[in-house]
Amino acid sequence: METHKNTGIFFTQSLNGYYSKINLEAITSFAKQIPNVKTVFHVTKDVLTDSQKIETILKSKEIERVILVGEYPGLHKTLFTKAIVSAGLITDNLVTLSFREKGIFDEKDTEKAKLLLEHAVKGSQFFDISETGNNAVNDQTLVIGAGIAGIQASLEIADAGKKVFLVEKTGTIGGHMAMFDKTFPTLDCAACILTPKMVEIGQHSNIDLITYAEVKSVSGTPGNYKVTILKKARCVDLNLCIGCGSCSTKCPSKVPSEFDSFTTLRKAIYIPFPQAVPNKYLVDKENCTYVNDPFHINAATLSGLRKKNVPEKVVEKLKSLKGKSFNTEPDFIETLTNTLGENDWKKYSDLLYENTGKCKNCIKFCPVNDCINLDEKDEEIEINVGNIIVATGFTPFDASRAEQFGYGVYDNVLTSLELERLINASGPTEGKITLRTTDKKGNKIFTKEGKTPSSIALVHCVGSRDENHNKYCSKVCCMYSLKLSHLIKEKLPDADVFEYFIDMRAFGKGYEEFYERINNEGIDIIRGKTAKAESHNGALLIRGENILESTLIEQQVDMLILAVGLVPNNDSKDISEMLNIKVSDDGWFVEADSNTDTTGTYTAGILTAGVCQSPKDIPDTVAQASAAASKVLQNIMKGKI
Amino acid sequence: MSQRVNTDLINDLKQFGMNEDNACFHCGNCTAVCSLTEKGVVFPRKQVRIVQMGLRDTLASSVEPWLCYYCGDCNEQCPRDAKPGEMMMSLRRYLTSVYDWTGVSRLMYVSKKWEFLFIFLFAALVLLLSIFFTEIPEIGERLTAEGGVALNKFAPVDIVHLGDLVIVALLSFFLLSNVFNMYYKVILKTKTKVPIAAYFTALASTIWNTASQWKFSKCDSKSRPYWFIHLLLMTGYVALFTMIVVFLSWFQTDTIHAWYHPQRLIGYYATIGLTVGTIYFMIQRRNKIKEISKNSHFTDWTFLIMLFLTTVSGILVHIFRIYGLALPTYYMYIFHLMVLTPMLMIEVPFSKWSHLAYRPFALYFTELKKAGQV
Repeated sequence: METHKNTGIFFTQSLNGYYSKINLEAITSFAKQIPNVKTVFHVTKDVLTDSQKIETILKSKEIERVILVGEYPGLHKTLFTKAIVSAGLITDNLVTLSFREKGIFDEKDTEKAKLLLEHAVKGSQFFDISETGNNAVNDQTLVIGAGIAGIQASLEIADAGKKVFLVEKTGTIGGHMAMFDKTFPTLDCAACILTPKMVEIGQHSNIDLITYAEVKSVSGTPGNYKVTILKKARCVDLNLCIGCGSCSTKCPSKVPSEFDSFTTLRKAIYIPFPQAVPNKYLVDKENCTYVNDPFHINAATLSGLRKKNVPEKVVEKLKSLKGKSFNTEPDFIETLTNTLGENDWKKYSDLLYENTGKCKNCIKFCPVNDCINLDEKDEEIEINVGNIIVATGFTPFDASRAEQFGYGVYDNVLTSLELERLINASGPTEGKITLRTTDKKGNKIFTKEGKTPSSIALVHCVGSRDENHNKYCSKVCCMYSLKLSHLIKEKLPDADVFEYFIDMRAFGKGYEEFYERINNEGIDIIRGKTAKAESHNGALLIRGENILESTLIEQQVDMLILAVGLVPNNDSKDISEMLNIKVSDDGWFVEADSNTDTTGTYTAGILTAGVCQSPKDIPDTVAQASAAASKVLQNIMKGKI
Repeated sequence: MSQRVNTDLINDLKQFGMNEDNACFHCGNCTAVCSLTEKGVVFPRKQVRIVQMGLRDTLASSVEPWLCYYCGDCNEQCPRDAKPGEMMMSLRRYLTSVYDWTGVSRLMYVSKKWEFLFIFLFAALVLLLSIFFTEIPEIGERLTAEGGVALNKFAPVDIVHLGDLVIVALLSFFLLSNVFNMYYKVILKTKTKVPIAAYFTALASTIWNTASQWKFSKCDSKSRPYWFIHLLLMTGYVALFTMIVVFLSWFQTDTIHAWYHPQRLIGYYATIGLTVGTIYFMIQRRNKIKEISKNSHFTDWTFLIMLFLTTVSGILVHIFRIYGLALPTYYMYIFHLMVLTPMLMIEVPFSKWSHLAYRPFALYFTELKKAGQV
């Protein structure tokens, strides 16, 4: 490489205030003191249209090499080539360095920009720079998120013989795909595809599955990351639990079920769904009566203690505390120690704990000793890995934000995911589509005894392609809505089904054909977004425009399904900071190159897969997961990163 | 029937205040949120399409822009931020210029220079006429026995009324011929076959809607104060206009009537309506409070300011006259006419004021069209 030539650095103009985001001053002053750099120019507009002016500069400063730097310096390459030729230099001495292309986005990238600039001056290839060198690669891999992306990637790496730690935030693996009834366009049963893979994950000797846990921090260097994982207290011993369900049957606390998209209730000690992996119960501490109820001393406490032959002297002392509640355990301990004295407290504390009105039904009815421990604390573990795959997925758009549809106000306005659960045979209604009912305690849930709707409308693009919410297209809603229409028609052949869309985006293999097929199944597919829903004679009146006929639609339906878009998880920003990867303005993780490296990130050894990078359907997600797995294996096989 | 796509129309409409042209992806959200859309009368998305296609003839024959009172719901909920309500507003300005066969309207909408030139011309004309044809009375004759100013000595009501009638004749000619032009474009040219009976049956609903502005009030509860103040302004204006044009000899008197005399009560009602209205709408536009007041074309401001000045100068004439301030009364009277005349001459047939005629007729023609379709 030529390294002794007089070099001139030209910063080209930028668009959209790009330079205001990066620390241009620091980069400029650094550039000035790189050896062989003769001069640093910030090129103005009038120069950028005049090759003669550039030629004059080149000649006057005796510049032999030109580094063209900026947001998109390639735009000006022709002009500079002209100038270089007229100045009598060879065009090989023109080097362009696009900051944007190399991932310089903001102030945090200043050091990276300096490094790139230094290498450009030295004349080394970018290939050599991106090769960060001689970091040895630990052959263990961390996969964050156990949806279909995380599952696929883990299995592929594990099958290749390498160790995988699969970390999942909820109590089971499976992610959103486990909630779906069918996949489009083939109408395959989603669970039939997914559950065998889930079981394989649970049994694979190379996979260490860590559910109900979150990655807390990551440190180290590419190829050797030290990861701290917070294992939330599951309160059930995974090795001892036999999954009998006695605990859940007797648990008094009922809350909406996340897995069933809040269409029904679950207990505070629960298994997310029958095919969950691991197929073991867990305790939702936030809703557990035992964990949340204050300690309290009442008549039952005192009689309970008497039954256990606690001396009357001690019981008498406690009488003064009758009717008192303690919000915190230290408070409880302190008061009782003061009342009873240190020795008596120590002697009878077990009995006191037992008799202070705490629930503990699950423990009482559990057939296995020591399986449930409601006092279990969160725990942190540390692991060392060489590569990390981020597969954290998405959150469905919060439909109540699109106020015009009255989601959360009207009982029978549902999101697509909720309908998906109703249609599913293992869902709350055993596969029957019913209207919402109110149970004895006033919970609004779906049961198989509910009334059957006679007309259902689906509205596309809820929260997507909308300046008021998310500008982007969520990519999957058109197809899953068509699928849902088909499934409704299959379950309720006599029901009227209306589908309102803006543009039908049937983009994948067999998708357009699928649209054609559904179009011929007696479903009213209407072009035009619905603008609002109102309560009308106990049903819903939806208002829209039929675009192709320019007519107003006022349609009365029993049930309205909102095809909600996909939204990044609210912790995606935290994850991006923890892993030093980028998020776009929309909140999706940024890939290293949108054409040729859609799984990589700007940090070596960290890859993304699935919807967390951008909305995509199952085939695309799986493909990306496989790609990420193969990248990881490449890194491991190279041994250096 | 085939029509050519014409991209010039969009550029043309930009001069009339339209600021978004290509954002719309035709989802129909605006049509569906609009509380005035009904079966058979569909807007504003249809008009966006017409504009994007550049179908000038179709546009000239549509009454829909006049049926919109700009509550702004469509702007707020538009997923593309395409501001369909603002487009409808611009279309009303554009259609005003389309109905006007003289071309004056277009000149004034498109160019500030022309607008101000016309205003100054008429103001100067009034000034010249007053310099040549009026004479300030002798000191002894300036006041009446009651102590008020003898206004008729300075500007005899018969002569002013005659001038009035000339103006009214001119205005009516231009305005009515423009309305006929509208009728031609909307009904005749489109070959709508309207049963004769419909011309009479449609009258009732049109009059009811015009007097109460019932449809305007349907524009979302948010707009209710807006609707009420607009109604106050409109009725006040119409009352005063009728007084001046038809009953000037009864209205412009030297006698000071008691405060409860109908002449003064009508005057007060109109004054309150006009003052409150103009000030309210100026504040709305200045502070860009509602969707309707967020984008102001310069003609909107001209109209409001001239109406406001007319009102204020009218009030001052009244006060000066009652308190016997002779010279101020006379000068203020001339100023009053200098603002009033151009406002009437320009605004009534050629600019924003004309919606007072086009809106009721649009309602009327809509009913006719509906009857014709059956």
